[in-house]
Amino acid sequence: MREAAKKDVSQQIKEAAGKLVGNVSKVIVGKKEAIELVLVALLCEGHVLIEDVPGIGKTMLAKAVAKSLDCRFRRIQSTPDLLPSDVTGIHYFNQKTSGFEFRPGPIMANVVLVDEINRATPRTQSCMLEAMQEQQVTVDLETMPLPRPFLVIATQNPIELEGTFPLPEAQLDRFLLRVSLGYPSEDEEGTILSRFQQENPLDSLTSVLEAAELLELQKLCHQVYVEESVRKYVTAITRATRGHDGIRLGASPRASLGLYLASQALAAIRGRNYVMPDDVKYLAAPVLAHRLISKTEARLKGRSLEAIVGEVVSGVPVPVEEQP
Amino acid sequence: MKLDWRQSILYIAVLGMEGCWLYVLLSLLNTKAAGGHLAVPGVLLLYPVAFIFNWLLRRLRWPRACLWSVSWLAWAVSMLLMIKVQVFGHLPLSDPAWLLSIPQSITQVIYTFRPELLILLSTGVLWWLGQRLARLRLNFSALVSEFQFGLPILVFIFLIAPPLEVTLDNTVLITLTFFLFALLGISVAHALEGTSWLSGLNQGHWGGLLLFSISLILILGLLVSVVITPELLQFVVEAARWVCGLIAKAIAFIISLFPEPEPPSIGPLPGESVPPPPEEPDWAELLRMPEAVRSGLRIGWTVMVVGFLLFALWRVSSEIFRWLRRRLAGMSGAEFETLPGAFTTDLLNLLKRILQKLLKLRLPGLGTRAKHVLPEIDSVRQIYRRLLSWAAAGGFPRHSSQTPHEYYYALAGVLPEAQDDLGLITQQYIRTRYGMWLPTEDELDQLRHSWRRLRQNHLKNRRQI
Repeated sequence: MREAAKKDVSQQIKEAAGKLVGNVSKVIVGKKEAIELVLVALLCEGHVLIEDVPGIGKTMLAKAVAKSLDCRFRRIQSTPDLLPSDVTGIHYFNQKTSGFEFRPGPIMANVVLVDEINRATPRTQSCMLEAMQEQQVTVDLETMPLPRPFLVIATQNPIELEGTFPLPEAQLDRFLLRVSLGYPSEDEEGTILSRFQQENPLDSLTSVLEAAELLELQKLCHQVYVEESVRKYVTAITRATRGHDGIRLGASPRASLGLYLASQALAAIRGRNYVMPDDVKYLAAPVLAHRLISKTEARLKGRSLEAIVGEVVSGVPVPVEEQP
Repeated sequence: MKLDWRQSILYIAVLGMEGCWLYVLLSLLNTKAAGGHLAVPGVLLLYPVAFIFNWLLRRLRWPRACLWSVSWLAWAVSMLLMIKVQVFGHLPLSDPAWLLSIPQSITQVIYTFRPELLILLSTGVLWWLGQRLARLRLNFSALVSEFQFGLPILVFIFLIAPPLEVTLDNTVLITLTFFLFALLGISVAHALEGTSWLSGLNQGHWGGLLLFSISLILILGLLVSVVITPELLQFVVEAARWVCGLIAKAIAFIISLFPEPEPPSIGPLPGESVPPPPEEPDWAELLRMPEAVRSGLRIGWTVMVVGFLLFALWRVSSEIFRWLRRRLAGMSGAEFETLPGAFTTDLLNLLKRILQKLLKLRLPGLGTRAKHVLPEIDSVRQIYRRLLSWAAAGGFPRHSSQTPHEYYYALAGVLPEAQDDLGLITQQYIRTRYGMWLPTEDELDQLRHSWRRLRQNHLKNRRQI
């Protein structure tokens, strides 16, 4: 039936995902879950916000993912004096040709690493909104499409607040996932030391996936079957965030769509051609938490947004057989 | 205090709470229906006996039908013994008269209500309650439900006793005992779930703090019982009657506003001259409505009036709740939790359940079109439904937010020896339910074998590993 028809789809994606995860794992020790989540974003053509304390390997992860893909990679180091034109590109006057020419900015790439994104001013942050949502940029009334696939991997440090500008909700909503790496375990830290003793493994990293292949996989992901009750479960979770007592601003319909697509991608990465409620539950916190605004009481009580999403999810019934 | 002790306290608390209102109810029935011939504590003794008997019985790993038969056989024996001791103590055991009195009491029920029948019914209810308690999994919500259920019954019996001219003894003592068991059970259940302040820093002083709190509340209860006298209660009842009378008058007044249906016209008597019909103006002809329209309007009017009355009642009760909440909020150190929309949710759930029951009856006009499911898929889902039901009966129900995988891990922790069968059933179900996968005949056979093997295990008295 459906399974037989789609077996190749899930296996194809699983194999490609396995290659990519294996390649990135040569640089990033442990953290398979975080790598898997970045891969989910890649397959959904979503964007990833990696948020953690300094020295955890955020930039390293982004660079390793970018290097594993045979795509054009650019890096934007966000600073308070970074201008929108530094990101999108500018028209300059060429004296030789006596005409204006466009010099593309770093956003015109397949994989864009925006390092320390919260150090850029709101004006510069906002110039990325169009690019992230519509895969195009408008410079001097001229709209230009961005190359496909297009993925923004942004990093930010949640501890340092001096000289930073918190990302606006509109910007946060455009990130499909927020990923935290967390500190490595004792064994993992030992492995990092031995692995980086001689040379940086990033230097010897080669690409394992081409842009065309990735585009094909993205298309295949949409074929992953989502049963009607699971689809309703996705919307029930996002809708439940809108009425929760600890949340001031609930998840948007874009979040519902993100959770839906991410679940499809995760199912495919795990070698399935159908989505289970477990996939939705697993992705609820990474997809939804950064899009919500908690109430002051919840913040004062120290309830994290991830914990609130956990509460929301535990209050939504999973579509399973009713007990007779 | 060990966990088992706390669980025992919960059982004692439920027995105590139910015992209180059962005692009052039986006393009332004994006075009105059996002329006060029965010794109520003796009848009530059957409740803990039923609980212990059924609890021990469930420890034996017998088939369900066998357990059920033995249990109700034991009830029949106890009921007969009770009738013999309580009503026919003077007759020898070999005399068949006391045995024959039972069918007689049933056949004569429309003429008289005999004590044997009261024993028959009350022991049946007590035995069922004991059986239910033996299989009940006691937690905080169960204890609160017991309290919420028991308190209105107790109050209702206290209120109807004076109009029925029945004098109940020891009402204050019974009420205090009820509250004692309720508070004890609720606080222990709360602490058991680890959400109580008793499970935090004050865990070391658990027993002392609990006893102090309960004693304080009971002393306050005693003080309240001094203030609230039977005269005061009588006054409240009179006031309630007066209000009800007022509402009844208002309803009667509203009903009087409706025009009475016209009596059927009888033809003129022979020889009687027919009076000419009164001439009506043309506009009256226009205003005259057909009977069907009038009936519809009448129903509409009644619905509107009843709706207004219900709305007024709802407003009054919500204002009272709001006032109580404000008062509580003003009290220092008091904590209260509002449940916005809880009533509406409960009401909607109730209506949904009623609708589901009606739909199951397949009433004409209410039946829904059954979803077309392939028989193979249906078999897999049916087996999973049975698994859910079996595990719930064993004391491990699925939480509504648990996915099949999560539930599998929970059950596999309890039944590690059946891990493979559980895994197979869960996996097949997941693929069928969410992946629209069609199992082969061999796979279905394997699934059925797994289910048969799995159900041989007993989940009762297992603990999570």
